[in-house]
Amino acid sequence: MANEASKAADDVRTQIQTVLNGQNQPTVTVLSSLLEIQDVLHYLPNEAIEETAAFSKTTINEVWSVASFYTNFRFTPPGDHTYEICWGPSCHVMGAQQILKRVQDELGIDREGETEDGKVTLKYGTCLGACAQAPVIAIDHHHKGKITTEFAAKMARELMA
Amino acid sequence: MADAVKFTIDGQEIEAQPGQTVIQAAMDSGLYIPYLCYMPKMDPYGACRMCVVETESNGRTMTQASCTTPVAQDMIVRTKTDDIQELRRGIIELLMTEHPHGCLTCHRIELCGPQDICLRHVRVTDRCTICPKNERCELKDTVRSMELDLTNPMEYHFRDLPRHVDDPFYDRDYNLCIVCVRCVRVCEEVRFDTALTLTSRSGTALVGTSHGTSLLESGCEFCGACVDVCPTGALVEREYKWDKAEKTVTSICSNCPVGCQVITEVNKRNKVIRFRGDLAGEANNGQLCFKGKFASDYPNKKGRFRYPLIKIEDEMQRTTWELALESAAANLKKFNPDQVAVIASPRGTNEDNYVAGKLARVALGTNNVDSALNLNPEVTESLLASIGYAAATNPIWDLENSKCVMIIGGNPTEEQNVLAVPVKKAARAGADIVVIDPRETELTRYCRDGLWLRSKPGTEVTLVGGILRAVMDEALEDKKFVNERADGLQEIKQELWNFDLVRVSQITGISEEQIRLAARAYGSAESAAILYGADTVPAEEKGDLALAAANLALVTGNIGRSGGGVFPLFGGANTQGSNDVGANPRFLPGYAAVTDASARDRFSREWGVQISATAGLSIREIIDAMADGKIKAVVFMADGISPEQPGLEGLLEGLANLDYLVVSEDFPGEVSHFADVILPAATFTEVDGTYTNLERRVQRVRQSMTLNYEERPGWSALARLGSALGASGFEYDSAADIFAEIASVVPSYAGISYERLEKGGIQWPCVDPEAPGTAILHGVEDENFRPKLTPMSIREILNVHDAEYPLTLAHGRVLHEPDHPVDVENRNGMNYITRDNYVQIHPDDASDASIIDGDMVELRARADRGGNAVTFIGYAKLNSPHAGLVSITTLFGEIAIAMQDSDDPDPAPRVRGLPLMAVTLSKVNVPAGVA
Repeated sequence: MANEASKAADDVRTQIQTVLNGQNQPTVTVLSSLLEIQDVLHYLPNEAIEETAAFSKTTINEVWSVASFYTNFRFTPPGDHTYEICWGPSCHVMGAQQILKRVQDELGIDREGETEDGKVTLKYGTCLGACAQAPVIAIDHHHKGKITTEFAAKMARELMA
Repeated sequence: MADAVKFTIDGQEIEAQPGQTVIQAAMDSGLYIPYLCYMPKMDPYGACRMCVVETESNGRTMTQASCTTPVAQDMIVRTKTDDIQELRRGIIELLMTEHPHGCLTCHRIELCGPQDICLRHVRVTDRCTICPKNERCELKDTVRSMELDLTNPMEYHFRDLPRHVDDPFYDRDYNLCIVCVRCVRVCEEVRFDTALTLTSRSGTALVGTSHGTSLLESGCEFCGACVDVCPTGALVEREYKWDKAEKTVTSICSNCPVGCQVITEVNKRNKVIRFRGDLAGEANNGQLCFKGKFASDYPNKKGRFRYPLIKIEDEMQRTTWELALESAAANLKKFNPDQVAVIASPRGTNEDNYVAGKLARVALGTNNVDSALNLNPEVTESLLASIGYAAATNPIWDLENSKCVMIIGGNPTEEQNVLAVPVKKAARAGADIVVIDPRETELTRYCRDGLWLRSKPGTEVTLVGGILRAVMDEALEDKKFVNERADGLQEIKQELWNFDLVRVSQITGISEEQIRLAARAYGSAESAAILYGADTVPAEEKGDLALAAANLALVTGNIGRSGGGVFPLFGGANTQGSNDVGANPRFLPGYAAVTDASARDRFSREWGVQISATAGLSIREIIDAMADGKIKAVVFMADGISPEQPGLEGLLEGLANLDYLVVSEDFPGEVSHFADVILPAATFTEVDGTYTNLERRVQRVRQSMTLNYEERPGWSALARLGSALGASGFEYDSAADIFAEIASVVPSYAGISYERLEKGGIQWPCVDPEAPGTAILHGVEDENFRPKLTPMSIREILNVHDAEYPLTLAHGRVLHEPDHPVDVENRNGMNYITRDNYVQIHPDDASDASIIDGDMVELRARADRGGNAVTFIGYAKLNSPHAGLVSITTLFGEIAIAMQDSDDPDPAPRVRGLPLMAVTLSKVNVPAGVA
C-alpha cells in the first residue's frame, strides 16, 4: 500500500520535474514555474512546492509565500467537472438563488468547492457575461442559458452519476 | 568618515551619519519614536507606519515613516504633532481589533494576576494578564508610550487561529500576531533560513510555513532569533513560558567558542528562565543558536551536586569542603608528579583554567594539564610557527566582508553556530563559498556549482596543496605581500613542484578543473577567509592542515586584511582561553613553551617553584596513559563533558583504571561515577569570570544566580586544593584577583582588566591599558613576528582501512532538503521526523555487495562498550563520488528533537557531531508483502 502511494508520489515528482525543466522562456521564475505546473496538473500539490524550491535553489517557504499570495493557485485537486452557477444581478433576479440551492442539494455540499467524491467542483460566477440568457450555468465552461431549476438539478445528477 | 548631518527632532539638535534613517538617529540620541516593525540591525521595512513623523526639508512638509526616511541636513522633524498622534492612534486602533487588549485600558493592569477575577468582564481571550509575554510585551509598551486614550477602542475580533505547540522549543500562537514580519525578516535577512514566511495576502496575510507544515521540515535551525524579535506573545519559548524575570544580567554563553553575549533572565525563585541574544554583543550581534537559546537552562535542573561528597567504603557520603580537600590532598600526595594529571573543563573560565594550570605545576609538580575538549590542539598551535599566534587572525563578523570563504572539514552551523551567520551573509552578498568536505553540511548549499569539493576523506592537505599550486600556476598570488611580509616563498615553491595537479586529482578524487575553479575563486577574490576544522581530517594531518591553510592565506595576501584570515574551528566554550592562560601541557601561560628554559625561569620566579622541564601529556595522551596505568590520579573539572564526544573514546575505561579521582562537577554523570571525592561545581550562571572566544575576544561572564548551597566556582575549589596540598600562591579572594595575576604574566592580556571589560570584550593582544586590542592580526607589520610559509609534502591517501568495517560513512546534516520527502508524525503532542534515508553508494561497492539502485541497505558501525552500534537503514542510490565512501544526509530537526527529548539535564554537550565512521554495508532483505 505504502509502496503504491510512494510510487504515485514519485510519478508526480517526475512529471513536475519534466515541466520545470521544459520551460524555455527567457525568464524562468518561481511564479512561471508554478503557473506551468498548474497548467499541467490543474493544481499545486505539495510536491510542486518542494520541487519548485529545489529547482529554484530556494526554500519551500519562499515558494509557498508566492503561491499563497495569488488566489488563482489551488492546492487541492479540482473535481473532474466544473459546475459554475452565475449569481450576477440578472441571474439573481431570474432565480439563481433557487437553482444554487437545488444544485447544492444534488451535489451534497453547502458551499463552493469539490464534492466528496471529487467528481464536481462547484463555483459561483459573479457574471458569466450572458445576461440576456439569464439564468445561466456553465458546465466545463460550456454555457447553458434560460435554464430551469429542474434542468440544473438534472445536469448535476448526470455529472455525479 | 563623512561629515555629520545636523538636523532637529522636536526642536532638539541632532547629529547623525549620512545614510542613517531618522529613527536610527533618534535612537542614537536617546529619543524615542514609537515603532513596531522596525528592528535595530535589520533593514527598514516600513510596514506598520507607527513611526510616522512630520518632516520639513527644503520647504516641503511631509508625513513619512521615520524608519525609511534618511536624515538630511537642516531637516526639521516633528514627532508629536496632533496630526501625527491622530495618525498613530488610527493605526494602533486597527491593530488592536485583531490583538487582545482588554487589560490595556484598565487601571488595574499592574495589580492583576492571571488567576484574578475580572470585574470588568473582559473575556479570557482578550486579557493581557494571561499572555506569556505579559510584562515584557513590546506592543503594550508602544501603545502606552503614546498615552493613547483607548477608553473606547474597537471591538476585539478573535481570529481563532490554530496554535502550533508541537514543534521543539517554542510555541507559535498567531492569534497574538500583528504581522510586523520581524520574525520572517530576521529568519530571511539575518539567518538566511526562511523557515518562516509571509503567507497569503491583504486581510488574511499571516506568518507561517509552507502548507502550515512543522518547523522540522521547513528548514528551521531553532536559533530562536524570531522569538527574540517578536514584539508580542505570538512567538514564545516553551520552557518557563509564563515566568517573569526579576533581574537580567549580561553574560556569555557556555556552549561553544563563539562566545555569544546573552541577556540572562532570572526569576524570583533563583531560576534562569530565558536567554536572549544581546544586540550589543560584538561576537554575535544579537544572534544565538539552538544550544545557547534553548539548552542553557541546565543550572536549574534537579539532581545537582550541592555538597562535597567523599567515598567511604564504596559509598559517596556528604562531607565538608575542609574534609574533602584534606582527603584529596593527602591522597594526591601519594603519587609521583608524572602519575598525576589535571583536566580542566571546556566551560571553565580563564580564571579556573589559570588556577588549574598553576595547580598542576606548582602544587602537583607536573605539566600534565589540559582542557577536556582540547582534542585538536594542532589546529591552533601549529599556527604559532607560521602566523605567530595560536588563534584565528580576524574577527568573526569581519567574515561578512569576505569575497570568498573556504570551509575545510568543519560544520560551523552545528558546532560554532553563530560563526556561520556572517559566512552566509557574505554568500548572500555574492561571495563564493568553497567547501572541502565529504559530508553534506548546511553550508554546501551556498556553493556555486563545482565549489563543493567532495574529496576522498583524509586527502584534504594534499587538496589544499593542489589549490595552492593552481594559485601559483595562474599567478593569483599577492606577490608584494608574500615577498615583503613573509618568509619562505622560495622553499615552498620547490615543494609545490610535487603537487602536480594530475597526481593531486588522482589522490583526492577531485578533477583538475574543480581544483582550478576553487583556486580561482579563492585566489582572485579581493579578500578570502579560510575556516578549517578537524572533523574529517585524520589526527596526524590536523597540524599540517592548519599550516597548509596558513600558506594559502599568506601566498594570496589574506593575512592582515579585512575579510581574509584563517579561523581554526574547535569545540568548548573556553578552549581558546584555557590554552592562552596555560591549562596546556606544552605551554605555560601566554604560550611560553615548557621546553624553553627562560620561560620556565620566569614562571619559577613568579610562582616560587621549579617548573618541570618535560612537556606534559595532552588530553588524548592522558586518556591513553590512564588506561596503561601510567597516570594513576586525576583532578577532573568535568562540567559539560560528554564521554560520547568524538575524540574522548576510552575516557571511561581510563577513569575506571585510576587509583584516585577528584571530580568537580555540577551533575552526577559517567565521570563522577568513578570519583573518590566530588566537589560541587557552580555553573556559568553562578560565577564571575572571563571567557576568551575563538576570535581572541576576552569577555565577562557574570553571575546571575545566587549560590544557596555549597557549590563553588572552579577556581575556588582548585585554589583551596592547592593550599591544602601545601603550596603557596593560591590565596585568591575573587576571580578579579586571578585575572589581575593573569594580566601580569600573559603579555597579550596585559592591558585587559575587569574594569575595561565592563564596556565590552577586548581582543588580545592588548599589551597596555590604553591599547584598544587587536581586531586583525598582522594588520600592520608585526615587529615581534614575521609570518613564515611552511614546506608541505604531497602524500598518498592514508589508508584508514579497516578489514572488518571497510567503508567510510560521511554523515551529513542539512536544514532543508525539498527534493527528499519528509513525513512528520505527531506522537504525544510532539512532532517527529519520519522519512526514508537515501544511502549514496559507489557503483563498485554496490556491485561487490550485489546491491542495485533502490535496494534497502543497512550501514552498521562498530559497537560501543554497551554493545550498541550506530546503524542506518535506507534506500541505495548509486551516486557516491568515490569507491569506499558511503554517505547519508539527515535533517537538522533531528538534533532539536533529540535535545528536546533528552533525559540529560544538560543536553547541549551531548549533541553528537558528525565524525566519519567506519561501517559495513549490507542489503536488507524485505520479506515479501511488506513495503
